[in-house]
Amino acid sequence: MVIVVIPAFNEAATIGGVVHAVRRVCNLCVVVDDGSKDDTADIARGAGAAVLSHEINRGQGAAIETGFVYARTLSPTAVVTFDADGQFDATDIPRAVEYMEQTQSDIVFGTRFSTSARAVPVLKRFFLMPLAKAIDRLFGAPELSDVHNGFRVLGPKALACIRITQDRMAHASEIPRLAHQHGLRIGQFPVTVHYTEFGQGVSGGVRIVRDLIVGLFVRK
Amino acid sequence: MLILFQILFTLFTLYALSSVVARKRSGELGPRGLVFWVSFWVVATVFVWYPEATNRVAQAFGIGRGADFVLYISLVVIFFVLFRLHVKIESMSRDVTKVVRDKALDTALSSRTK
Repeated sequence: MVIVVIPAFNEAATIGGVVHAVRRVCNLCVVVDDGSKDDTADIARGAGAAVLSHEINRGQGAAIETGFVYARTLSPTAVVTFDADGQFDATDIPRAVEYMEQTQSDIVFGTRFSTSARAVPVLKRFFLMPLAKAIDRLFGAPELSDVHNGFRVLGPKALACIRITQDRMAHASEIPRLAHQHGLRIGQFPVTVHYTEFGQGVSGGVRIVRDLIVGLFVRK
Repeated sequence: MLILFQILFTLFTLYALSSVVARKRSGELGPRGLVFWVSFWVVATVFVWYPEATNRVAQAFGIGRGADFVLYISLVVIFFVLFRLHVKIESMSRDVTKVVRDKALDTALSSRTK
């Protein structure tokens, strides 16, 4: 059983199309509506997704973990995290799951550099991403070619031991760190990314670093 | 003029110490917190009554004036307290997330079993 978890916040414009595309390639599509003010939840439900609704916005990391908790109750063979804004291609899902099985990886991270490196904005490719990589290494994450890619495939072992505590965007650094800490076999798979917006930016990066530092001092 | 400030500061210190003790009794403050805040207010009062003492301490740290030393220490303390506040807010925020998540899961799981 393959479950796709899609965190969504005010994504009414794109969520319907994303759910339709994803449902063709998985057994269950779970949309975690993270306190949206628009019709994201209704549209996702109408498109055939199982919808979990956060009453208030808690951040992408919190929404993904909610999807993971739900997925754990169904004992899937693979759980895929997928963005709601339409930047990923659903046809990458079965290929990535197959790649995970073939390579016997516990977790596979999507990477945009094998297929669409030139589509990444220059500032992001040559400044923000190397900086993010260096910071992630500092916080114990393994070397990955694409640090903050939202496309991931988790096998049963990874789903059991990765518990996201970072509610906002720092979860993208926390997941590889936890995978490394738990000794999971890590794979990387090339995925297509259609840039719909400019991503994190410098202020987003600063917030991630702040969250990672503060997170070190919060009692678990 | 200085005497009036010294008296007012001492009265405020007594009020602050009483609230520290009250917070310890109610369990809001741990033993380390008690030691930190009592030491902080006692040292602050000593420096207010004997300002020249700050000069001696400052010189021991290689800082010229006692007033500068107090300023630097105050800044460090303020940053430390701010950081602790930040951590506390993050901790509370995670508690809120747990409540929100549990509610979302309860609703989804109960509708699944129906």
